[in-house]
Amino acid sequence: MKNSFVELHARERAIVLLDKGSNRELIDPYDNMISPHLMPQGIVPESDDGIIIEKGTLEGKKLVIISIEGNFQGGGIGEVSGAKIVAALEHVLEDNKNGIEEYPIIILDTGGVRLQEANYGLLSISEIQNQIVALKKYVPVIGLVPGRVGSFGGMSITNAIMSYIIGTNRARIGLNGPEVIEQEAGVREFDSSDKDLIWNTLGTTQRQATGLIDEVIDDDIDSFKKAILSAINEKKDSHKTERTDFYLSLLDSLDPSEKLNISSYQKIFDNVKEQEHHLPQAVASDKKHTKSRGRQWFEQLTGIKNADSDVSTVLHAKKDGFEYIAIVPDENNPFPRVRHGEVGLLEGYTVASVVNDLINSEKNTPKEEKTPIIMVVDVPSQAYGYNEELIGIHMALAASANAYAKARQAGHKLIAFVPGDAVSGGFLAHGLQSNRLIALDDLDITVQAMSKASAARITQRTIAELEEATKHVPAMAYDIENYQKLGALYTLIKGVKGYDSDEASISKVRAAIDAALADDDDETLKFRYTNKIAKESGRKATNQIRKMMDEQWDK
Amino acid sequence: MEKLNFKFKGTEQVKNKAHVGVVASGDLEVIIKPTTNSESTLNIVTGSDGFKEVWQSVLKRFFDRYPLIADFEINDFGATPGVVNLRLTQAMEALEDEK
Amino acid sequence: MSKKNWASHRQAKDEKMQRVAPLLEGKFAKTSDVVKILERLLNSGDKVVLEGDNQKQASFLSKALASVDPEKVHDLHMIMSSISRPEHLDIFEDGIASKMDFSFAGPQSTRVSQMIADGSLKIGDIHTYLELYARLFIDLIPNVVLVAADKADKDGNLYTGYNTEETPVIVESAAFKDGIVIVQTNEVVDKLPRVDIPGDWVDVVIPADEPYQLEPLFTRDPQHITETQILMGMLAIRGIYEKHKVQSVNHGVGYNTAAIELLLPTYGEQLGLKGKIVPNWEINPTPTLIPAIESGWVQSVHSFGGEVGMEKYIAARPDVFFVGKDGTMRSNRAFGQMAGQYALDMFVGSTLQIDKYGNSSTVTEGRLSGFGGAPNMGSNPTGRRHSTPAWQSLKPDDNPLGKGQKLVVQMVETYGANKRPVFVDKLDAVEVRKEAKLANVPIMIYSEDTTHIVTEEGIAYLYKTSSMAERQAAIAAIAGVTPLGMTSDTATLNDLRNRGIVALPEDLGVRRTDAKRSLLAAQNMSDLIEWSKGLYNPPAKFRSWS
Repeated sequence: MKNSFVELHARERAIVLLDKGSNRELIDPYDNMISPHLMPQGIVPESDDGIIIEKGTLEGKKLVIISIEGNFQGGGIGEVSGAKIVAALEHVLEDNKNGIEEYPIIILDTGGVRLQEANYGLLSISEIQNQIVALKKYVPVIGLVPGRVGSFGGMSITNAIMSYIIGTNRARIGLNGPEVIEQEAGVREFDSSDKDLIWNTLGTTQRQATGLIDEVIDDDIDSFKKAILSAINEKKDSHKTERTDFYLSLLDSLDPSEKLNISSYQKIFDNVKEQEHHLPQAVASDKKHTKSRGRQWFEQLTGIKNADSDVSTVLHAKKDGFEYIAIVPDENNPFPRVRHGEVGLLEGYTVASVVNDLINSEKNTPKEEKTPIIMVVDVPSQAYGYNEELIGIHMALAASANAYAKARQAGHKLIAFVPGDAVSGGFLAHGLQSNRLIALDDLDITVQAMSKASAARITQRTIAELEEATKHVPAMAYDIENYQKLGALYTLIKGVKGYDSDEASISKVRAAIDAALADDDDETLKFRYTNKIAKESGRKATNQIRKMMDEQWDK
Repeated sequence: MEKLNFKFKGTEQVKNKAHVGVVASGDLEVIIKPTTNSESTLNIVTGSDGFKEVWQSVLKRFFDRYPLIADFEINDFGATPGVVNLRLTQAMEALEDEK
Repeated sequence: MSKKNWASHRQAKDEKMQRVAPLLEGKFAKTSDVVKILERLLNSGDKVVLEGDNQKQASFLSKALASVDPEKVHDLHMIMSSISRPEHLDIFEDGIASKMDFSFAGPQSTRVSQMIADGSLKIGDIHTYLELYARLFIDLIPNVVLVAADKADKDGNLYTGYNTEETPVIVESAAFKDGIVIVQTNEVVDKLPRVDIPGDWVDVVIPADEPYQLEPLFTRDPQHITETQILMGMLAIRGIYEKHKVQSVNHGVGYNTAAIELLLPTYGEQLGLKGKIVPNWEINPTPTLIPAIESGWVQSVHSFGGEVGMEKYIAARPDVFFVGKDGTMRSNRAFGQMAGQYALDMFVGSTLQIDKYGNSSTVTEGRLSGFGGAPNMGSNPTGRRHSTPAWQSLKPDDNPLGKGQKLVVQMVETYGANKRPVFVDKLDAVEVRKEAKLANVPIMIYSEDTTHIVTEEGIAYLYKTSSMAERQAAIAAIAGVTPLGMTSDTATLNDLRNRGIVALPEDLGVRRTDAKRSLLAAQNMSDLIEWSKGLYNPPAKFRSWS
């Protein structure tokens, strides 16, 4: 009989991969670092907050295993769990920089953001992604998706960023769970009771056939060890997030209005003729475009009237030495699920392409002269659609998050200006990789990990109950003022609203951007948890975890 | 969710620590740590309200059988008394293994 | 002087059949005429059997029945194994039917209690399956029966295949007593794989608009088996199967018994029990039995019904299952129940409540779920005369005329998943009897028939007790921390252990910490498929792999 790996809990999974007796757990259950946000919401915590970090060896190679417990709160990432992962990855990076060869293995069994700590979840996930992008330059970052929960939400974006992903046939990977798509787009878009459809679409068989997972192995402990060792020894990296031209060519070749199925998509996938894509800058026009705060501010900051772009939903332009990028709505978009400013497949890959073009064009430019990037953020969500999941929208969002992180790590300053909504996967793809977030103090702005309707459904509450529960809990806030209490914002601009267009307002925003740029002196995301608000209240637990990890790492 | 606290007298001072279980649906985690106190202290967080007496009964039976002195942390996500007893016994055996 | 007419029933049937003659071509009616057919063949007040047990439902005919005009057809007396579909009760609200004799009401059990309470449903009685079938030949002889077939040929011969179940017994009761047999069929074909019901016995065949409803009721995903269930399974194997050398068994539906099935090839093998216990089974083809079959534990399986997804596997294992020359399985619920009552060493089931005396019931809190087949299997047939080692092992030593007894085992966790105690002072069924004005308290298995109770605490060997007081003490000893269990003390427990009336895990050599899911021969549905060599094809709702 096989020794099932899937059957094991997260801690056992980590331990069985390591040479017997070589493992040491960091911030273990006896440290009892529970989430400070769960009990106040009436939810039972876990002593490890669902994240197990084990250091040890596999056939002599140094491994750091980060294992997510899918049975605790669906493997959702909150503040403590997120901080444990980020801190561990940071140490692995540091060790590798110092010549200690050490391999990070992340065992994914997660629904993504933990909804009860949604804002922390999103911040943490972007920080995890940032660390992975940095680490990939030294060692392969290996992800395991053994299954039962699989890898969903923000963490599916994270797995797409990793170097190499190994799974079994019991795992599913997707950005949005079928229930959420059904909630957002209707049962005809995705019938969440149709298990065959779900497994055929999100299961690893389809994912491997279309390049979304690298290897599918038997559910057996030894098979996992073998696959990990060969990934380490051969330094495997499939560079999934670098395939923007392939996917942009693929998207060119399909009719977005037609609902795909497994075989029709496979045919398209197999016949892609890859061509280079470079999106020209937006130009002024007299065309009418779908109104939005993101578009208005892009136009106000660049001075391009009725900005028109070859990709109607992605605007970019170089102005006054800054590269501005915005994702905007197009009510006539041929992609039916991307008409209200959502980030879809085309948006993710196009933004990635624009950012990569900039990085490449300034490859040899000294750091201080590299063009800063100003993201104009007004993204109500990611796109919820069947085609999107089938093709792998999580990888599209990963491509853009990866590109932004790379740009920042290469020396481009990255500012996100938020005049509109900043929600979930859309925000991860376009916004959260900046180390200076600037927002308008406008209560019409929604910041969150999931729409209220979906969050209510998933946490089994009414929308009214959800609103009541979130009103006073910054961890779950939907408004920008509560969000500021986390310390995530660099500037909250008072007195300017999303649709303001007067000169004074525009100058105020420009000044805020300039001030942020002037102060931006690092290539990491650490500002968010090291500023005063964060340290004193917003990210207290994060800082405590970081301190403990420092103390325990080299014991 | 409900927080419960219990104290039980014992005779056997625990020298090691042990952790078993996961806060999964219908399951619980049990952490046992040595203590300098002269009796066992249990801090329980449970997702099922209104079962204080049942906990009292389960724990009484456990301590009657195994008169340990230790600090217990228990996070319970709706486990039945049968499962609680199973995890307590497993934590006991984990303590033995540590020896 | 007028001669007595000794064939009035036949004439009545002929007259009815005349009414539908214009709608028939041979025995066949059009799908769209189904309601008209029923309106012409049903007289108000008729006794009508509507086929439907816990698996198979004549759903096309039941929907049609709910659409007849209550002006034309009313006050039918329904006789049904199972009240499973909403329309089974709708017909009472509409006045189409007024009286019901049944045996099981799984999914509709709450509504059944409510409708009895408000008077819209009059109950004749609640039966076991076998009793209800028996009464079809005595005092509930039907005027019309509505049944379901997989295939029919031009002459009205029927193929009922894997899910033959109760079709033969129902048809027999009408066909030879001038009742009318109306059949819905999934398909009409030129040649049947085999004839399960001769066309002679059939009056009207109607092609259905969709296949009859079929529930995979006996499929348990091993993924959901808990360590507590595994522990109880280990206790049962050691303390009952091995101890009594049980050769033939029926398992109820549930995760407890699924755990035992999956422990035989692993734990049972470790104990060296292969070839020594349970070669012969009366059980539906439950997928969790596949590993035991594949590793050579099982010699024969007879079944009440089929199980969705098991068709190819069964066809490929004719040495084990009952399979026709055509290569497909045949089941038979009536014979299965008969075998379950008379030919088994042991029945192992589960229940929702057990009282302090050892009586058990699944009727709780206003849910009148009926009985199904469990009481037939879960009772000691006093008419039994043959002996087997297991049966004989329960023979009392002190009675020269004493005889053996069937092993009737209840397996329960002391608290249910709802965290309510399973052991109670008084069964909810006592209240339900009052509300539903039943003659007797609906007890599933009586204390006198219950020989063993297994909980996560241990086993009570009730057959060894010599008084009701001792029986109660034995039950309390394994009732954990339920209020009943808390009445037991250590001294009594140890006395019962010393006398072999109660066994704890340590008495049986079972380590609680060995109760791990890794001990299951299959831990999920795809393991079962693998064991079956790809022959088992589970329904989509059990899909958890790609």
